[in-house]
Amino acid sequence: MLRPVKMSRVVVAGSKDVIAPVVEKLHELRLLHIVNYNGSEPQFEMGKPIGKAKEYSEDLIKLRSVTRYLDLKNKAPDKTYPESQILSEMDNLLNNVGADVIATYERITVIDAEVKSKQDQIKALTPLAVLPLPLEAYYGYDSLATFVGTAATPVDADVARVSPVNEIYSGSAKNATFVAVFVPVEKASEVSAVLSEHGFSETSVPRLEGNVDSAMATLEGSIKSLEGEKAPLQKKLADMKKQHEDLMLATDEYLSMQTRKTEAPLRFAETENAFVIDGYVPVDQFSRLKSELESAAGGRLEVSLIADKEADELVEKGEDIPTQMDNPSLVKPYELVTRLFAIPEYKEFDPSLLIFVFFPIMFGMILGDIGYGVMSLLVLIMLKKKFRTPGWQQLINIVMIASVWTIIFGIFFGEIFGPLGLWGRIMGHISEHEMELANQAGLYFGEGVFGSLGRIGFWGIDIFPMDRLATNAVLLLIGTSIFIGVIHCSVGSILGIKTELNYGEKKHAYFERLPVMLFQVFFSIALLGLVMGQSLLTYLGILVVVVSVVMMVIGPEGPMGLAHVPSYVSNLISYLRLLAIGLASVGLAYAANQLAFYVIMPMLSGGATNSAEFTIPAIIVGIMVLLAVHFINFLLGILSPFMHPLRLHYVEMFTKFYSAHGGGVEYSPFGHVRRFLKA
Amino acid sequence: MAVVADAGVLYGLLAVGAGLATGLAGIGAGVGEQGIGAAVVGVVAEEPGFLGKGLFLMLLPETLIIFGLAVSLILMFAWTPFAAIVTP
Repeated sequence: MLRPVKMSRVVVAGSKDVIAPVVEKLHELRLLHIVNYNGSEPQFEMGKPIGKAKEYSEDLIKLRSVTRYLDLKNKAPDKTYPESQILSEMDNLLNNVGADVIATYERITVIDAEVKSKQDQIKALTPLAVLPLPLEAYYGYDSLATFVGTAATPVDADVARVSPVNEIYSGSAKNATFVAVFVPVEKASEVSAVLSEHGFSETSVPRLEGNVDSAMATLEGSIKSLEGEKAPLQKKLADMKKQHEDLMLATDEYLSMQTRKTEAPLRFAETENAFVIDGYVPVDQFSRLKSELESAAGGRLEVSLIADKEADELVEKGEDIPTQMDNPSLVKPYELVTRLFAIPEYKEFDPSLLIFVFFPIMFGMILGDIGYGVMSLLVLIMLKKKFRTPGWQQLINIVMIASVWTIIFGIFFGEIFGPLGLWGRIMGHISEHEMELANQAGLYFGEGVFGSLGRIGFWGIDIFPMDRLATNAVLLLIGTSIFIGVIHCSVGSILGIKTELNYGEKKHAYFERLPVMLFQVFFSIALLGLVMGQSLLTYLGILVVVVSVVMMVIGPEGPMGLAHVPSYVSNLISYLRLLAIGLASVGLAYAANQLAFYVIMPMLSGGATNSAEFTIPAIIVGIMVLLAVHFINFLLGILSPFMHPLRLHYVEMFTKFYSAHGGGVEYSPFGHVRRFLKA
Repeated sequence: MAVVADAGVLYGLLAVGAGLATGLAGIGAGVGEQGIGAAVVGVVAEEPGFLGKGLFLMLLPETLIIFGLAVSLILMFAWTPFAAIVTP
């Protein structure tokens, strides 16, 4: 579980005559992770595609362009198709339906462009309405230059100065003056200079006829008719999408599959008459691969295992052994968290199981509230039906397991939507007498409230449920957080030691990883001794801390290793966030309850002190405030308990053992998981 | 030099100190994360596979707040000379 699946290095060699059935069988088996041939051996060359590779990829390109026009997204399959149906309908789909789609789409594009240009013309025409000229008056002159546009200040006098012969029209529209200036061509450049002094900016006049208003009306009419044409075309596209969506996705899948099969030999090494495939297969699947392939090839093929020693040499030359994480289904979702960081290398540990153990506990300890836990469970059950892609399902499963822990910790903390809220009302309050006893025993954790469940506890310390906001509880939780931190980091360090040993780096294992663990464990033991007043513990802790520091100095990094010491302390302190973020969310929930039950409701009921005297409007307003604040707190309360334990794993734990040698390559066997196609 | 002997005033000063410790540390961490966050978003836009490592980098400065918080907690709860003044 902590280790990836064991892999064997295999070589498949056979006659070229059987390459097609072998590829077919490999694709069906989905077992062999192919190592691409890199062309380094002079006696082998790269393979060539087999069969109708070119046709398939051409069809695929055609299909992809159609699906792009239809804006098809990959989705969960509604129904599946047999391959025979795909084959019989593919031609029609690609040629007739495809051509129809493309034609319709292109017509829509043309309409859009036309509408756009007509809208631009209308935009240009609107200001011209203030001038008393018909549109044909603006263009078509040989001896006249025209300037049409807006000017900041009146231009008449200055234009007349440089060109005594002129014709100027002006009108004001929308806080700008609009002018049309007609001058003889030979004066054009001088007039242009004069105009620019007046802040003139030119607009282009559309080459239309008649007066401005009627031209605009004509344009608007044609826009309307174009849009009238577009609507049914869009509906047609939507209908076609609906009708052919699944079939198209299935055909896409079929063609991709065929392309991959026909192009597979590109990854093989070939001679004139034979082919060789290198690859990895899970150890326990080797015999199955061997027998299936040999029967498919009718004995004209050899599948052989490469000895470990030779395989190690290949790895040293730079070949990556693929990693397949091996976890029970309950732990599987947590592979998402691992994968987000890096795929473990083949020789490394797969931390998914550890995340499964620690992550939900940390999440629960931070959020720790029955109400929020139940709510997030309900929300997630709803989301689970809606988001069906594997990624979302994994994420939802992660948070669901965490929500269960939230409820468990909620019982420990006695919180239903925060303290002071429902728990006390449902379970009843602790009696004065018992509170006094607990106080004397140093076990008073705030206004402890309990009822039918009784005090929950062990070893005679009946401390739960406790109020997280009480001083004693905060101190206890500080200790608990650091304790979890020590365990968490130590597990990481132990795995780090084993990983280094796997790579054969003894010095790194015993003088780099081990001292870190000793340091962290005994540093916290020394602290514990200080807090409990046990000087023996303190001295023991300090002694081992000193020993571990000495080991670090002896280690591979030398005295530079000491530079990391502060970070080992901060690693542990970092776990205080388990307490801190929890306190923040409890604080908000507490504030909400306090505000509603002890401020708003009494105030609006005219100073009532007893909940029985609250008026109905006061209760309604109070509940609205409760809903709003708790909703915000709930949203924050899902996000930060997720992010912070994630960080504790990535930063505090993974750095101890994970990915120090770079990420791995995921095991992706040659083959295909059918989605839209029937097997 | 006047000596503040009133336990209430001392407790108030402690609370102010604790608040400053967490608050200023938070600002520091925020400034640190700002640059990293912007860079990570840029990288993830190019290469989505970097998200996990990017998060890792982005969350590194968060430890600063926790230091501030630890100081606050010590001030408020754990430093016995003060705790003795505060608890009657």
